[in-house]
Amino acid sequence: MSDKKAYAVLGLFETPDALMHAIPKLRAAKLGTVEAYTPYPIHGIDDALGLRRSPLGGMVLVMGVLGALTAFGFQYWISAIDYPIITGGKSAASWEAFIPIMFEVTVLFATFTAGLGMLLLLNRLPFFGHPVLSAKAMKGITRDRYALALEAESEAFDSAAAAQALEAAGAVDIEVLPAPDRSPFLTSDYILRTLGGIFVACLVAGLGIYSLIKWFPLLAPMKYMQDQPRLNAQKASNFFKDGHGMQPPVPGTVARGYLPTATGTQDASATLVNPLPRTKEVFAQGRKVYTNRCEVCHGALANGAGSLTAAYGAKPANLQAQQFRDYPDGKIYWAIVNGKNAMPAHAAYLTEPQRWAVVHYVRALQRAQNATDEDLKVVAP
Amino acid sequence: MRTDASVHAVPIPEGLLEPALTVGKVTPGSLDDQVLAFPETKPPKQWYLALAVTLTALGIGLACIGYTFTTGIGAWGNSSPVFWAFDIINFVFWVGIGHAGTLISAILFLFRKRWRNAIARFAEAMTIFAVMCAVIFPLIHVGRPWLAYWLFPYPNERALWTNFRSPLLWDVFAVNTYFSVSLMFWYLGLIPDIASMRDRTTSKLRKTIYTVLALGWRGAASHWQHYEKAYLLLAGLATGLVLSVHSVVSFDFATSVVPGWHMTIFPPYFVAGAIFAGFSMVVIVLVVVRETMQLKNLITMRHLDVMNKVILAMSCIMGYSYMMEGFTAWYSMNEYLHHGFMNIITGTYGWAGWITISCNIFIPQLLWFKKCRSSYFWMILVAIGVTIGMWFERFVIIVISLHQDYLPSAWRIYKPTMVDFGILLGTFGLFFTLVLIFARVLPVIATTEVKAILPDAQPSHGGSHE
Repeated sequence: MSDKKAYAVLGLFETPDALMHAIPKLRAAKLGTVEAYTPYPIHGIDDALGLRRSPLGGMVLVMGVLGALTAFGFQYWISAIDYPIITGGKSAASWEAFIPIMFEVTVLFATFTAGLGMLLLLNRLPFFGHPVLSAKAMKGITRDRYALALEAESEAFDSAAAAQALEAAGAVDIEVLPAPDRSPFLTSDYILRTLGGIFVACLVAGLGIYSLIKWFPLLAPMKYMQDQPRLNAQKASNFFKDGHGMQPPVPGTVARGYLPTATGTQDASATLVNPLPRTKEVFAQGRKVYTNRCEVCHGALANGAGSLTAAYGAKPANLQAQQFRDYPDGKIYWAIVNGKNAMPAHAAYLTEPQRWAVVHYVRALQRAQNATDEDLKVVAP
Repeated sequence: MRTDASVHAVPIPEGLLEPALTVGKVTPGSLDDQVLAFPETKPPKQWYLALAVTLTALGIGLACIGYTFTTGIGAWGNSSPVFWAFDIINFVFWVGIGHAGTLISAILFLFRKRWRNAIARFAEAMTIFAVMCAVIFPLIHVGRPWLAYWLFPYPNERALWTNFRSPLLWDVFAVNTYFSVSLMFWYLGLIPDIASMRDRTTSKLRKTIYTVLALGWRGAASHWQHYEKAYLLLAGLATGLVLSVHSVVSFDFATSVVPGWHMTIFPPYFVAGAIFAGFSMVVIVLVVVRETMQLKNLITMRHLDVMNKVILAMSCIMGYSYMMEGFTAWYSMNEYLHHGFMNIITGTYGWAGWITISCNIFIPQLLWFKKCRSSYFWMILVAIGVTIGMWFERFVIIVISLHQDYLPSAWRIYKPTMVDFGILLGTFGLFFTLVLIFARVLPVIATTEVKAILPDAQPSHGGSHE
């Protein structure tokens, strides 16, 4: 027996037949656990070694069913409860459309269970510290040699006897594998360094991801959708000669319903006739437009004393003056459409009926301020 | 050479014996020396030359993709009403190429077709590379690919969820699952081989890399037991995927109401087409690998013969499917379906329809002859024909159906741009670049699986229960 503790004794065999013949002999000797190491799976070796059936099938079945249920629950909750949107006239809870994704998720869960379950849970891989990996025989084991190991089960393991038994069973190269050196692993220093390392890694990863998320979407092709050059109404612009962002319509522009019917001179418009009847609605409309558009200059009483007059020194027409009371409707209409002196044209934002309604209202104001006894007579209903 | 016949009391007549899986004397050791030696040797000049060509193609593709990103999807020929064109054609084409690998590695494994062991590794690798090429297209065709993660249903600040009734979302799940499962399957198969490479290499760098990748695999019998079980289960799961992935891709079309798409034959028709195209690509690559890497004793003419028979069978299924399309159009008495079908054979794109029919149906009929199945010239001719034909089949399905549907005022002729062609070329570059690199750094043949089926590899008393 060597002075160092042995993990196992390894013997090599040249053919799978020799290996299979040796297994029952070594198992009968009861010197230690018998394990085989082979370059590829050997038929019948599971029974010879007395290995229990792999539980992987059951694990995969359970996880597969779980995958199907997860996918169904997820889709049902989203499609029928959290975000019900009717598509194709189907009820929000119609489950038939969930089947393809249920299938895929079942396969996904089952695959990861089969692959990772086999590696991590059943075979305990990755594990780089196994004594067999550093055996001289390893070169042969992954190539064309078949090895049997008698692995120590207790302190009483006798490596010399194990070597003898292997030799008797026909093994050619016999190798004693020393037990791995198990120095204390979880020292406080090690734990501190590990935790410190994890903390630094998290910090770097977090900052990295944060800056990536902040910076990445602002790079050239990504920002094109946010970056849409346009002119706001009050902004300056070098594009136009006058430097204004907001431009008046091109001369002669007419919007639908805003047709200017008074294009000639004011005198030529004198013959135009107000097409609107004098009804309550028309007066209400005229009053509304007058209040919005005319009152600031011409004043609530149409006497030319609007609120802007004093502030800006403008001299809007006093519509109560005789000159304007004598105007035919057409001339007032012409002034609204084309503007006069400092007054701008209102054709662009008053529709045809609105303009004429204002004319009616101005007439009403003039009559109200210059009322005669006649006006006070109540018209018989 | 000993065969299974030796364990039978009555000798089996020579003609009924399964032919040998390898040519000449192959032992586990010689197999390792032959296959695992590639990564340890310097690649020949021709390899660098081939890599230069594929990298150039890849570079052109990347440039075109970059141009698309900065300019927008308008760089492509897609325009109303053909909103799906090269992007979806290439996606369907590449996903289809991938199917051969899964079929060989999974379905033939379940059927205990032992000849698949020698070609499974390469075919699986091609699956993974083809799916990588395929996913590029849905990613770039969303217009703003940096937001492609919106395809996944995850809780987000927009308080929106994906629509689970949309086949396009099924596609997201199907393709991602397919890629994950293929990768897992491939990697599990590689672990014992990488362990072999780990134990034979002398280079320190390689040893470190292989040690990590092999995960400490030590070939213990108790590990092999779980490993074999996992492999069998994965084969079963992947079999379902072979049938489902292209079915789901076909749902993208079949669940719509576009004439020429809305047909129940689409899922099986797509799956058969995928296997058809995939096997052709595998034949092309295998012939080159077999010749340039001196693997004639492992990848035998019998492999190619069997593969060609599968191609022939799939060709016949495709022929049936095309006839069914015509029959459906006629029997439905639906003028739109009728018009759509006539467009395939007589329309503006009639030439594409005839390329499809000739390359997929007529040319593969050559494979009825044993001479063609065992001649490089003819099998490569057929395989390239099928690859072209299957690409045009997707062109026919997508472009012909879309360019003229219900509304004649919206009809328009589709024309691809150079950017479209550049991206297609780029994916071929990517695919073959990955194939070339794979052939130099990883075992191209699943040595562990081949070792297990060599003569004398299994104990004689146990009999043959393969």
